Amino acid sequence: DLLQCKHILPEYPEEPAEIRLGPQFSDAPNCSPEIFRSTINKIPDTNSLLQKSRLPLGILIHPFKDLNHLPVIQCTTIVRCRACRTYINPFVYFIDAKRWKCNLCYRVNDLPEEFQYDPVSKSYGDPTRRPEIKSATIEFIAPSEYMLRPPQPAVYLFLLDVSQIARDSGYLQVVCENIKENLEQLPGDARTQIGFICYDAHIHYYLISDGLTRPKEMTVLDIDEIFLPSPESLLVNLGEHREMIRELLTLIPRRHSLPGVPASALGAALQAAYKLMAPTGGRITVFQTCLPNIGPGALQSREDPNARSSKDVAHLNPATDFYKRLALDCSGAQIAVDLFLLSSQYCDLATLSGMSKFSAGTVYHIPVFNASRSWQAAQLRNMLTRYLTRKIGFEAVMRVRCTRGIAIHTFHGNFFVRSTDLLSLPNVSPDAGFGMQLTIEESLSDLQQVCFQAALLYTSSKGERRIRVHTMALPIATTLTDVLHAADQQCIVGLLSKMAVDRCVTASMSEAKEALINVAIDVLSAHKLSQNLPAGPASSSLHAPLPLRLLPMYLLALLKTKALRTGTSTRLDERVAAMCDLKCHPLAQLIRLVYPDLYPIHSLAQHVHKEDEELVPDPPRLQLTSERINLNGAYLLDDGEIMIVYICNSVSPAFLSETFGVTAFSQLPDEATTLPRLENEGSAMLHSFIDKLNDDRPYPSNVLVLRDNSPSRTRFTERLVEDRLESAFSYYEFLQHVKSQVK
Amino acid sequence: MHTCLALNCITCEAEENGALWPRTKSLFNKMRIEMPLKERPDLPPIQYEPVLCTRNTCRAVLNPMCQVDYRAKLWVCNFCFQRNPFPPQYAAISEQHQPAELIPNFSTIEYTITRAQSMPPIFLLVVDTCLDEEELGALKDSLQTSLSLMPQNALVGLITFGRMVQIHELGTEGIYKCYVFKGTKDLSAKQIQEQLAIGRVNVPNPQQRPGAPTPQPPAHRFLQPVKQCDMALTDLLSELGRDPWPLGVGKRPLRSSGVALSLAVGLLEVTYPNTGARIMMFLGGPCSQGPGQVVNDELKQPIRSHHDIHKDNAKYMKKAIKHYEALALRSATNGHAIDIYSCALDQTGLMEMKQCCNSTGGHMVMGDSFNSSLFKQTFQRVFVKDQKGDYKMAFNGTLEVKCSRELKISGAIGSCVSLNVKGPNVSDQEVGMGNTCQWKMCTFTPSTTMAIFFEVVSQHAAPVPAGGRGCVQLITHYQHSSGQRRIRVTTVARNWADPAVNLPHIAAGFDQEAAAVVMARLVVYRADHEDGPDVLRWLDRMLIRLCQKFGEYAKDDPNSFRLSENFSLYPQFMYHLRRSQFLQVFNNSPDETTFYRHMLMREDLTQSLIMIQPILYSYSFGGPPEPVLLDTSSIQPDRILLMDTFFQILIYHGETIAQWRALRYQDMQEYESFAQLLRAPVDDAQEILQSRFPVPRYIDTEHGGSQARFLLSKVNPSQTHNNMYAYGGAMPIPSADGGAPVLTDDVSLQVFMEHLKKLAVSSTA
Ligand SMILES: [Zn+2]
Ligand SMILES: [Zn+2]
Repeated sequence: DLLQCKHILPEYPEEPAEIRLGPQFSDAPNCSPEIFRSTINKIPDTNSLLQKSRLPLGILIHPFKDLNHLPVIQCTTIVRCRACRTYINPFVYFIDAKRWKCNLCYRVNDLPEEFQYDPVSKSYGDPTRRPEIKSATIEFIAPSEYMLRPPQPAVYLFLLDVSQIARDSGYLQVVCENIKENLEQLPGDARTQIGFICYDAHIHYYLISDGLTRPKEMTVLDIDEIFLPSPESLLVNLGEHREMIRELLTLIPRRHSLPGVPASALGAALQAAYKLMAPTGGRITVFQTCLPNIGPGALQSREDPNARSSKDVAHLNPATDFYKRLALDCSGAQIAVDLFLLSSQYCDLATLSGMSKFSAGTVYHIPVFNASRSWQAAQLRNMLTRYLTRKIGFEAVMRVRCTRGIAIHTFHGNFFVRSTDLLSLPNVSPDAGFGMQLTIEESLSDLQQVCFQAALLYTSSKGERRIRVHTMALPIATTLTDVLHAADQQCIVGLLSKMAVDRCVTASMSEAKEALINVAIDVLSAHKLSQNLPAGPASSSLHAPLPLRLLPMYLLALLKTKALRTGTSTRLDERVAAMCDLKCHPLAQLIRLVYPDLYPIHSLAQHVHKEDEELVPDPPRLQLTSERINLNGAYLLDDGEIMIVYICNSVSPAFLSETFGVTAFSQLPDEATTLPRLENEGSAMLHSFIDKLNDDRPYPSNVLVLRDNSPSRTRFTERLVEDRLESAFSYYEFLQHVKSQVK
Repeated sequence: MHTCLALNCITCEAEENGALWPRTKSLFNKMRIEMPLKERPDLPPIQYEPVLCTRNTCRAVLNPMCQVDYRAKLWVCNFCFQRNPFPPQYAAISEQHQPAELIPNFSTIEYTITRAQSMPPIFLLVVDTCLDEEELGALKDSLQTSLSLMPQNALVGLITFGRMVQIHELGTEGIYKCYVFKGTKDLSAKQIQEQLAIGRVNVPNPQQRPGAPTPQPPAHRFLQPVKQCDMALTDLLSELGRDPWPLGVGKRPLRSSGVALSLAVGLLEVTYPNTGARIMMFLGGPCSQGPGQVVNDELKQPIRSHHDIHKDNAKYMKKAIKHYEALALRSATNGHAIDIYSCALDQTGLMEMKQCCNSTGGHMVMGDSFNSSLFKQTFQRVFVKDQKGDYKMAFNGTLEVKCSRELKISGAIGSCVSLNVKGPNVSDQEVGMGNTCQWKMCTFTPSTTMAIFFEVVSQHAAPVPAGGRGCVQLITHYQHSSGQRRIRVTTVARNWADPAVNLPHIAAGFDQEAAAVVMARLVVYRADHEDGPDVLRWLDRMLIRLCQKFGEYAKDDPNSFRLSENFSLYPQFMYHLRRSQFLQVFNNSPDETTFYRHMLMREDLTQSLIMIQPILYSYSFGGPPEPVLLDTSSIQPDRILLMDTFFQILIYHGETIAQWRALRYQDMQEYESFAQLLRAPVDDAQEILQSRFPVPRYIDTEHGGSQARFLLSKVNPSQTHNNMYAYGGAMPIPSADGGAPVLTDDVSLQVFMEHLKKLAVSSTA
């Protein structure tokens, strides 16, 4: 009973429920839930059963996740089903030593001789000893028939806004320094190319060549008919010109340090970048600080701060399809566009994000950026270091196949859908997640299991064509109870958040929010039905099946995220950025963003466990409600982007001196962005805890220290989603509302 | 100094001889003056401003021909007869103490205006990069050298072009910076100004703190004093590469000369209007795209020939000419000159671009290669200095002509544009560029000349006052290479004569050399503006009329025809003129024709005469070299000939000499005199090569040598036997069919003269 049970958040995160397959495959290795995850771990055998459960059916996938152990094999023939092209996987049926039956389409295929050989034991015999059968995630080095053209080199082009606002923000220095520091770490090989374009009212190209002792800035004034000023040397070999590139990176911020023009021809710059990159493909990284206001793709401000309080949010749709069209062109030329929006004012991200959405890029947003704020500079550096040095796949496509009877109807993430099951990904990043909604088109009742296979074909930064294959098998559910008890509430929230974002754009935000509330109502109604409880709101309790007990709480949190909340405090661009995050973040990151982790840190020593002879602090998580905040406590709220350290005024002086080296609460700095490292056990413990938290994310989160009387303490309190905030429900009110609607 | 040479013998010497102007509306009612701005080291430096006639419609400058009343401190204008008081600073003058401008020796005088702002000249280099490595390397060397030859305070800038056009910033720290423009899209000056964020140099802000450095003009990024940007520009030039765009098979490079020149003109127009400047364009091939295109990029389509033009088959020509004419006019209006240094084996479109040089006084140089000494030396010679150490170039000049009421100004022919300043003395009948009394001359050198045409007003309209003299005053304002504003004034006066009673007097004043050159300009100007044989017919008609007027003969008796001494060479000049490359175009490309005509329109009398009738010297053991007739009879086996056509210096070894040379007699000590004979014309040729601009083509050939055709095409073919030429009523017109090594189907001078006599004496003509 949700109404009775207040503390339902488990103190330590739960592992996703184990998937139990039928006897034949009970020992088969299934795909890691970090890569492949289904909203229901047993697929309803019919569409009507699914409809009865009122659960959304879909899968989330994190296909290019950094992996510690990835079997990589190189073979002359990659074994695939001749009918449906499925890659051989742990869930196929071996009819004999020479034949196998496809687990997606059930065609019987021959096994090639080579497959008898086990590369690990170097012996012939049992095909089930092959790595393809022993691992649900595997990578092939593709033979030449997987290439339409020779694999492209790693090509990186940076587009730098140098308008007046950009200059004022000081970002150039940070970015250029950071690129310079990470030049050696850029993924690539001897063929790697790099280039830079700056733009304000005009386009500035940078030419580097052997014939020149210094770089050449070539400015094109005509932004209406964009052209390249040189057929060569604008993208240059990194290895051969390293020194000149460093020099250029020193020069660029210096050249653009004087007052500039208040104009930004982003559209023209993108057209130029496209022209430059089209022959090879690669990655365009855009740093934008203001609303592009000149030339093709120029925009006008659409944000009306006075309209922020209204129930529905306008202008979530793009103002022009310029950026989308450009992205589609880019996608066709194997170019992805990543956008770093370092804005100080409205930039119409709803429109600009199109450049990344359809080209499989990523949007990064640091609102009200100014490099003079050291924590923002640090955040940008952290972001950028990860961005520049992480693995990258070029000219990729991802195909997702599923057992006959299941169909994919909507994809979520940044890509271009080339055909029903094929996504174009000019670049694929280890930080990108995708979602798919599924429908059951045929009865699955004859089947033992349902399988999903995602195959990602890409070119590595070293110029190798590779295929990464993930296969997941799920059992079948035949009863409503079965279905409800196999639900994966985090995955459901993950999928729902993506659907809600789409709904905001296609319909309206109020409709999207309404739909989310209805999910809670419907699912709990379905549960009531499965329990054969009497219909109607008469009951005084609100029951949920165990695997779904957190769903209302997560949904409420989702309604209070920046993406979906109402109220005057949310800038339009920040809202859109949050929406982009919901669409693209891998699940773990997404859940943390929706429902941040809250830890008490005033008593870390009480919660430690030993790991490799070292004491690791391991405090329990707290629910996000002010009830859990004690006046004598100190807390850490971690949403993945930022860790807010919240100090209450009656915290022990011992803690203050251990952690901050001060003796009184009043001596705490206001809004500090670092925690001092002090020579004592408590400080070391806190830092080791933070370091541990940082381990599981792409780049370390920023720290912000707030006192409970800081002016910006709302940055902490607004995340206590179970409390009543502005006009939004508290958790209890939300449950009451749901209960009243449950049939 | 304006040395005055005219058909009616207005030379300084002639004046003393009491030469007269014809007081009639006869055949030669137009007088023509050639006017070089000649070097005059003898002129006193005058640091004050000229004294002007106070009559508003006159404003003539005080000159030695004015009557002066020293007691009353008054002077009478010799153009309008206004009595003018001298300004106060002239209070001390007397007959014994005359200001320089009243001394008869100084009928030409130069004033330096010290209060005017001194402005260094501007050189904007516009460089073609569609060249091969060797050509570009040689050109870069020449340009780097030129930096040390330019006035060190001169502003210099660089534009390069190929498929695109680049305007380079100078001395940008740590980086090469340029602005890149499409070669297919023209920009107006306003667009250039806005896009490059440059404009006129602002008047210094009076509120500016004293002692604070004056802010650099916005154009400083592109135009800087040589001494300041020397290093940067040297680096920039040394790292300048070939146009990087790949060249397709069978394609010409896409060359954007038209837009490059337009940007150069626009850049100067918005930054330094009405200031001395020269755009120096270095061109290695034809413009093949965009405005000003003269050919497309298909190699299989050759650039237009005279034949194509004649057949109206030159697809790009008219549009291109329009583009360059518009640029020429804009540039000239702002006082900026355009030089074109064209070096290529094929044509580069000089024909279409000609107005750029012709209107602005800029140089047009045509060569085969930037790596040739012809180009290298010619280009260095642009920066040559005179005895005083001043550059032999003047900038942003205007020439104003004033004349007595009995004269009207019909027009001018030379490297200038009309300033469209009307006045009472401007004739309705236009000759050359008329309807004005002022012309802009953006740049000129001491050897630049102008032909100015006058009309004598009918006697009834303006009767000559008794004992009156006709006066002409030439006032040239210009920017000296040192930056000073200067004014040069020449005043000449002539007595009037009535041809009805005094024709021999007038004839005695005839300067046949000047007349030939003026006639050449006039006919070439016509040829440039119309096409075909009509021009030649007109030239012939003029010659016949002159002979009719001034010859002595009995009607219908050709044998009785005589011309006096000072007319005797004139028909011969006309003979050579009509078969010269100026009028016979089909042996040459349109670019060559353009180049030859360009030189004729600007050079001084002596050089122009050489162009019309080349000089031939003969060298033999018999004595010192002697001038010989430009005639086949002068070609002898034991002679060496030196021919100077202005454009070519040719040494021709006669048959015997050539044999001896082949046997290397000159290397044997006992034939030292032969070696000396061989050397003599070479030394003389060197002397000419050293001084002439542009450096002529040097040809060493011999009897039977393929290049001997250059000699054979110039000499009068007196010794061919095909002198029978059909003609009917008009003068014989030499065949346009080119390529014959010996001019067997060309008429000889003798045949020409016979026809001329016949026509002159004919009572029916
Ligand atoms: Zn299959
Ligand atoms: Zn007067």
